Amino acid sequence: MKNILVASFLFLSMSALHAQDKYFTKEGKINFNATSPSSPEKVEGINKSVICVEDIKTGNIQFAAIMKAFEFERSLMQEHFNENYVESDKYPKAEFKGMIANNSDVNYTKDGSYPVTVKGKLSIHGETKDVETNGTLTVKNGKIAAVATFDVALADYKVSIPSLVADKVAKVAKISVDCLLEPLKN
Amino acid sequence: MKKKKILLKILAVVLIVIIGTALLAFREFYRKPKDLTNLKPKFTVSAIDFIKEFGTDDKKADAKYLDKVIEVNGVVKEMKKDENGYYTIVLGDTSAMSSVICSMDSLHNDGLQNIARGNNLSIKGVCTGYNAEEFLGSDVILNRAVINNKN
Repeated sequence: MKNILVASFLFLSMSALHAQDKYFTKEGKINFNATSPSSPEKVEGINKSVICVEDIKTGNIQFAAIMKAFEFERSLMQEHFNENYVESDKYPKAEFKGMIANNSDVNYTKDGSYPVTVKGKLSIHGETKDVETNGTLTVKNGKIAAVATFDVALADYKVSIPSLVADKVAKVAKISVDCLLEPLKN
Repeated sequence: MKKKKILLKILAVVLIVIIGTALLAFREFYRKPKDLTNLKPKFTVSAIDFIKEFGTDDKKADAKYLDKVIEVNGVVKEMKKDENGYYTIVLGDTSAMSSVICSMDSLHNDGLQNIARGNNLSIKGVCTGYNAEEFLGSDVILNRAVINNKN
Protein backbone atom coordinates (compact mmCIF):
# COMPACT_ATOMS: atom_id res chain seq x y z
CA MET A 1 0.00 0.00 0.00
CA LYS A 2 2.74 2.37 1.01
CA ASN A 3 4.64 1.52 -2.16
CA ILE A 4 1.65 2.31 -4.31
CA LEU A 5 1.26 5.64 -2.57
CA VAL A 6 4.91 6.48 -3.08
CA ALA A 7 4.75 5.34 -6.69
CA SER A 8 1.64 7.36 -7.42
CA PHE A 9 3.13 10.38 -5.69
CA LEU A 10 6.27 10.02 -7.79
CA PHE A 11 4.20 9.63 -10.91
CA LEU A 12 2.15 12.72 -10.11
CA SER A 13 5.18 14.85 -9.35
CA MET A 14 6.85 13.64 -12.53
CA SER A 15 3.89 14.59 -14.68
CA ALA A 16 3.76 17.94 -12.93
CA LEU A 17 7.42 18.36 -13.79
CA HIS A 18 6.74 17.35 -17.35
CA ALA A 19 4.46 20.33 -17.92
CA GLN A 20 7.31 22.57 -16.82
CA ASP A 21 9.86 21.05 -19.18
CA LYS A 22 9.55 23.77 -21.76
CA TYR A 23 10.53 27.36 -21.23
CA PHE A 24 9.95 30.04 -23.84
CA THR A 25 9.79 33.69 -24.80
CA LYS A 26 8.45 35.61 -27.75
CA GLU A 27 10.12 38.87 -26.73
CA GLY A 28 13.77 37.82 -26.75
CA LYS A 29 16.42 40.33 -27.84
CA ILE A 30 19.20 39.84 -30.36
CA ASN A 31 21.65 42.61 -31.05
CA PHE A 32 23.56 42.59 -34.34
CA ASN A 33 26.69 44.72 -34.42
CA ALA A 34 28.84 44.94 -37.52
CA THR A 35 30.56 48.23 -36.79
CA SER A 36 34.09 48.09 -38.14
CA PRO A 37 36.80 49.64 -35.91
CA SER A 38 37.39 52.42 -38.44
CA SER A 39 33.74 53.33 -38.90
CA PRO A 40 32.59 56.69 -37.53
CA GLU A 41 29.00 55.46 -37.12
CA LYS A 42 27.41 52.47 -35.51
CA VAL A 43 26.28 49.65 -37.77
CA GLU A 44 23.96 48.07 -35.28
CA GLY A 45 20.48 46.62 -35.21
CA ILE A 46 18.27 45.18 -32.52
CA ASN A 47 15.53 42.59 -32.78
CA LYS A 48 13.08 42.71 -29.90
CA SER A 49 10.76 39.89 -30.92
CA VAL A 50 13.01 36.86 -30.93
CA ILE A 51 11.25 33.57 -30.29
CA CYS A 52 13.11 31.05 -28.14
CA VAL A 53 12.16 27.66 -26.65
CA GLU A 54 14.22 25.49 -24.40
CA ASP A 55 13.43 21.99 -23.23
CA ILE A 56 15.25 21.86 -19.91
CA LYS A 57 15.05 18.07 -19.72
CA THR A 58 16.88 17.43 -22.98
CA GLY A 59 18.74 20.74 -23.20
CA ASN A 60 17.37 21.34 -26.69
CA ILE A 61 17.20 25.03 -27.50
CA GLN A 62 15.85 26.91 -30.51
CA PHE A 63 15.79 30.51 -31.62
CA ALA A 64 13.94 32.19 -34.46
CA ALA A 65 14.39 35.82 -35.53
CA ILE A 66 12.43 37.61 -38.24
CA MET A 67 15.04 39.51 -40.27
CA LYS A 68 12.83 42.53 -40.99
CA ALA A 69 12.30 42.97 -37.26
CA PHE A 70 15.90 44.16 -36.81
CA GLU A 71 15.60 47.87 -36.05
CA PHE A 72 18.42 50.19 -37.05
CA GLU A 73 18.88 53.77 -35.99
CA ARG A 74 18.84 54.91 -39.59
CA SER A 75 16.38 53.84 -42.27
CA LEU A 76 18.93 53.63 -45.06
CA MET A 77 21.01 51.18 -43.06
CA GLN A 78 17.97 49.04 -42.31
CA GLU A 79 16.95 49.06 -45.97
CA HIS A 80 20.44 48.04 -47.08
CA PHE A 81 20.54 45.32 -44.45
CA ASN A 82 17.22 43.86 -45.65
CA GLU A 83 17.51 44.41 -49.38
CA ASN A 84 21.20 43.94 -50.17
CA TYR A 85 22.83 42.00 -47.37
CA VAL A 86 20.50 39.42 -45.83
CA GLU A 87 17.82 39.58 -48.58
CA SER A 88 14.91 39.38 -46.14
CA ASP A 89 12.26 38.89 -48.81
CA LYS A 90 13.97 35.69 -49.93
CA TYR A 91 15.18 34.57 -46.51
CA PRO A 92 12.77 36.04 -43.96
CA LYS A 93 14.06 34.22 -40.90
CA ALA A 94 17.26 33.38 -39.08
CA GLU A 95 17.13 30.22 -37.03
CA PHE A 96 19.25 28.38 -34.54
CA LYS A 97 18.59 24.80 -33.55
CA GLY A 98 20.86 23.18 -31.05
CA MET A 99 21.42 22.04 -27.54
CA ILE A 100 23.10 22.87 -24.28
CA ALA A 101 26.06 20.51 -24.34
CA ASN A 102 26.48 20.53 -20.56
CA ASN A 103 22.77 20.61 -19.64
CA SER A 104 23.33 18.26 -16.68
CA ASP A 105 25.50 20.93 -15.02
CA VAL A 106 22.52 23.27 -14.78
CA ASN A 107 20.30 22.93 -11.73
CA TYR A 108 17.04 24.39 -13.00
CA THR A 109 15.45 24.10 -9.57
CA LYS A 110 18.05 26.24 -7.82
CA ASP A 111 18.54 29.96 -8.40
CA GLY A 112 21.98 30.70 -9.72
CA SER A 113 24.16 31.46 -12.73
CA TYR A 114 25.41 28.55 -14.79
CA PRO A 115 28.02 28.76 -17.57
CA VAL A 116 26.93 26.69 -20.56
CA THR A 117 28.21 25.61 -23.94
CA VAL A 118 25.69 25.77 -26.76
CA LYS A 119 26.17 23.73 -29.93
CA GLY A 120 24.00 23.65 -32.98
CA LYS A 121 23.16 24.82 -36.46
CA LEU A 122 22.67 28.46 -37.34
CA SER A 123 20.80 29.40 -40.51
CA ILE A 124 21.07 32.90 -41.94
CA HIS A 125 20.56 34.04 -45.52
CA GLY A 126 19.77 30.46 -46.63
CA GLU A 127 23.11 29.13 -45.37
CA THR A 128 23.43 26.73 -42.46
CA LYS A 129 26.60 26.41 -40.41
CA ASP A 130 27.64 24.59 -37.24
CA VAL A 131 28.26 26.96 -34.38
CA GLU A 132 29.45 26.55 -30.84
CA THR A 133 29.47 29.26 -28.22
CA ASN A 134 29.67 29.88 -24.51
CA GLY A 135 26.82 31.50 -22.69
CA THR A 136 25.17 31.82 -19.32
CA LEU A 137 21.87 30.52 -18.02
CA THR A 138 20.65 32.37 -14.95
CA VAL A 139 17.84 30.70 -13.05
CA LYS A 140 15.86 33.15 -10.94
CA ASN A 141 12.32 33.08 -9.55
CA GLY A 142 11.25 30.27 -11.87
CA LYS A 143 12.53 32.06 -14.98
CA ILE A 144 15.67 31.44 -17.03
CA ALA A 145 17.75 34.23 -18.51
CA ALA A 146 19.71 32.93 -21.50
CA VAL A 147 22.59 35.19 -22.48
CA ALA A 148 25.32 34.63 -25.06
CA THR A 149 27.61 36.62 -27.32
CA PHE A 150 29.31 35.16 -30.35
CA ASP A 151 30.89 36.17 -33.66
CA VAL A 152 29.51 35.47 -37.09
CA ALA A 153 31.70 35.82 -40.18
CA LEU A 154 29.40 37.36 -42.80
CA ALA A 155 31.18 35.52 -45.63
CA ASP A 156 30.24 32.17 -44.04
CA TYR A 157 26.62 33.00 -44.75
CA LYS A 158 27.34 34.40 -48.22
CA VAL A 159 26.55 37.95 -47.13
CA SER A 160 28.73 40.16 -49.28
CA ILE A 161 29.56 43.73 -48.38
CA PRO A 162 30.12 46.13 -51.31
CA SER A 163 33.59 47.68 -51.36
CA LEU A 164 32.03 51.15 -51.07
CA VAL A 165 31.05 50.51 -47.45
CA ALA A 166 33.67 47.88 -46.66
CA ASP A 167 35.47 50.25 -44.30
CA LYS A 168 32.29 50.77 -42.26
CA VAL A 169 30.85 47.27 -42.11
CA ALA A 170 32.93 44.71 -40.25
CA LYS A 171 33.53 41.31 -41.85
CA VAL A 172 32.70 39.66 -38.56
CA ALA A 173 29.49 40.66 -36.78
CA LYS A 174 29.01 40.40 -33.05
CA ILE A 175 25.71 38.78 -32.11
CA SER A 176 24.40 39.22 -28.57
CA VAL A 177 21.46 37.16 -27.41
CA ASP A 178 19.40 38.03 -24.34
CA CYS A 179 16.23 36.01 -23.71
CA LEU A 180 14.18 35.73 -20.53
CA LEU A 181 12.41 32.37 -20.68
CA GLU A 182 9.23 31.58 -18.78
CA PRO A 183 7.65 28.19 -18.16
CA LEU A 184 5.24 27.11 -20.88
CA LYS A 185 1.90 26.24 -19.30
CA ASN A 186 -0.03 23.60 -21.14
CA MET B 1 30.26 92.54 -69.56
CA LYS B 2 27.21 90.59 -70.71
CA LYS B 3 29.27 87.41 -70.97
CA LYS B 4 30.41 87.79 -67.40
CA LYS B 5 26.80 88.11 -66.23
CA ILE B 6 25.78 84.93 -68.01
CA LEU B 7 28.78 83.10 -66.59
CA LEU B 8 27.88 84.24 -63.10
CA LYS B 9 24.33 83.05 -63.61
CA ILE B 10 25.51 79.63 -64.75
CA LEU B 11 27.86 79.43 -61.79
CA ALA B 12 25.03 80.28 -59.41
CA VAL B 13 22.80 77.57 -60.89
CA VAL B 14 25.58 74.98 -60.70
CA LEU B 15 26.27 75.92 -57.08
CA ILE B 16 22.61 75.61 -56.15
CA VAL B 17 22.39 72.20 -57.81
CA ILE B 18 25.52 70.97 -56.00
CA ILE B 19 24.37 72.24 -52.61
CA GLY B 20 20.88 70.86 -53.20
CA THR B 21 22.18 67.42 -54.13
CA ALA B 22 24.53 67.34 -51.15
CA LEU B 23 21.69 68.34 -48.86
CA LEU B 24 19.41 65.64 -50.26
CA ALA B 25 22.16 63.02 -49.99
CA PHE B 26 22.84 64.12 -46.44
CA ARG B 27 19.18 63.90 -45.51
CA GLU B 28 18.82 60.50 -47.16
CA PHE B 29 21.89 59.20 -45.35
CA TYR B 30 20.71 60.37 -41.93
CA ARG B 31 17.03 59.58 -42.53
CA LYS B 32 15.43 58.29 -39.35
CA PRO B 33 12.77 55.60 -39.34
CA LYS B 34 9.31 57.11 -39.62
CA ASP B 35 7.37 57.87 -36.49
CA LEU B 36 4.08 56.04 -36.94
CA THR B 37 2.05 58.31 -34.65
CA ASN B 38 0.80 60.52 -37.47
CA LEU B 39 0.86 57.99 -40.29
CA LYS B 40 -2.33 56.59 -41.76
CA PRO B 41 -2.51 52.79 -41.65
CA LYS B 42 -2.67 50.97 -44.97
CA PHE B 43 -4.97 48.32 -43.50
CA THR B 44 -7.11 48.02 -40.38
CA VAL B 45 -7.73 44.52 -39.02
CA SER B 46 -8.73 42.72 -35.86
CA ALA B 47 -5.92 40.76 -34.19
CA ILE B 48 -7.79 37.48 -34.59
CA ASP B 49 -8.49 37.98 -38.32
CA PHE B 50 -4.89 39.11 -38.85
CA ILE B 51 -3.51 35.86 -37.36
CA LYS B 52 -6.08 33.82 -39.29
CA GLU B 53 -5.08 35.43 -42.59
CA PHE B 54 -1.41 34.52 -42.10
CA GLY B 55 -2.39 31.03 -40.93
CA THR B 56 -4.48 30.39 -44.06
CA ASP B 57 -1.92 31.56 -46.61
CA ASP B 58 1.22 33.19 -45.29
CA LYS B 59 2.65 33.94 -48.76
CA LYS B 60 -0.45 35.88 -49.71
CA ALA B 61 -0.54 37.67 -46.35
CA ASP B 62 3.19 38.49 -46.67
CA ALA B 63 2.58 40.13 -50.03
CA LYS B 64 -0.34 42.11 -48.64
CA TYR B 65 1.02 43.27 -45.29
CA LEU B 66 4.83 43.13 -45.09
CA ASP B 67 6.59 46.49 -44.63
CA LYS B 68 3.24 48.30 -44.38
CA VAL B 69 1.71 50.25 -41.52
CA ILE B 70 -1.16 48.19 -40.10
CA GLU B 71 -3.71 49.14 -37.48
CA VAL B 72 -4.56 46.12 -35.34
CA ASN B 73 -7.48 46.07 -32.90
CA GLY B 74 -7.73 43.48 -30.20
CA VAL B 75 -7.61 42.35 -26.60
CA VAL B 76 -4.35 42.58 -24.67
CA LYS B 77 -3.05 39.14 -23.70
CA GLU B 78 0.09 40.43 -22.10
CA MET B 79 2.08 43.60 -21.53
CA LYS B 80 5.78 43.15 -20.90
CA LYS B 81 8.59 45.51 -20.07
CA ASP B 82 12.17 44.29 -20.08
CA GLU B 83 15.14 45.53 -18.06
CA ASN B 84 16.13 47.92 -20.87
CA GLY B 85 12.71 49.58 -20.83
CA TYR B 86 11.47 48.02 -24.07
CA TYR B 87 7.74 47.30 -24.10
CA THR B 88 6.03 44.45 -25.91
CA ILE B 89 2.25 44.26 -26.14
CA VAL B 90 0.70 40.95 -27.15
CA LEU B 91 -2.75 41.06 -28.76
CA GLY B 92 -5.11 38.22 -29.61
CA ASP B 93 -7.43 35.56 -28.26
CA THR B 94 -6.54 35.19 -24.55
CA SER B 95 -7.28 31.45 -24.66
CA ALA B 96 -5.07 30.70 -27.69
CA MET B 97 -1.29 30.54 -28.09
CA SER B 98 -1.15 32.52 -31.35
CA SER B 99 -0.84 36.29 -31.12
CA VAL B 100 0.05 39.58 -32.70
CA ILE B 101 3.29 40.63 -31.03
CA CYS B 102 3.80 44.38 -31.00
CA SER B 103 7.31 45.59 -30.28
CA MET B 104 6.61 49.15 -29.16
CA ASP B 105 8.50 52.22 -30.37
CA SER B 106 10.64 53.23 -27.38
CA LEU B 107 10.14 56.93 -28.22
CA HIS B 108 6.51 56.55 -27.19
CA ASN B 109 6.70 54.63 -23.92
CA ASP B 110 4.51 57.13 -22.05
CA GLY B 111 1.36 55.53 -20.67
CA LEU B 112 2.28 52.00 -21.70
CA GLN B 113 2.85 50.95 -18.08
CA ASN B 114 -0.89 51.30 -17.41
CA ILE B 115 -1.90 48.77 -20.05
CA ALA B 116 -3.08 45.46 -18.65
CA ARG B 117 -4.36 42.09 -19.78
CA GLY B 118 -7.94 42.28 -20.97
CA ASN B 119 -7.77 45.89 -22.22
CA ASN B 120 -9.14 46.62 -25.65
CA LEU B 121 -6.52 48.35 -27.71
CA SER B 122 -5.79 49.75 -31.13
CA ILE B 123 -2.13 49.60 -32.15
CA LYS B 124 -0.34 50.81 -35.28
CA GLY B 125 2.88 49.13 -36.36
CA VAL B 126 4.96 48.02 -39.34
CA CYS B 127 4.26 44.37 -40.14
CA THR B 128 7.63 42.62 -40.37
CA GLY B 129 6.80 38.94 -40.49
CA TYR B 130 5.13 35.78 -39.34
CA ASN B 131 6.50 32.91 -37.33
CA ALA B 132 4.73 29.57 -37.02
CA GLU B 133 5.88 27.34 -34.19
CA GLU B 134 4.70 23.90 -33.16
CA PHE B 135 4.45 24.45 -29.38
CA LEU B 136 4.17 28.20 -29.15
CA GLY B 137 1.51 28.98 -31.71
CA SER B 138 1.85 31.29 -34.71
CA ASP B 139 2.61 34.94 -34.37
CA VAL B 140 2.46 38.03 -36.52
CA ILE B 141 5.12 40.59 -35.64
CA LEU B 142 4.64 44.37 -35.61
CA ASN B 143 7.59 46.73 -35.12
CA ARG B 144 7.95 50.38 -34.10
CA ALA B 145 4.40 50.08 -32.83
CA VAL B 146 2.48 52.92 -31.20
CA ILE B 147 -0.91 53.15 -29.50
CA ASN B 148 -3.44 54.41 -31.98
CA ASN B 149 -5.36 57.39 -30.65
CA LYS B 150 -8.49 57.63 -32.67
CA ASN B 151 -9.77 60.96 -31.43
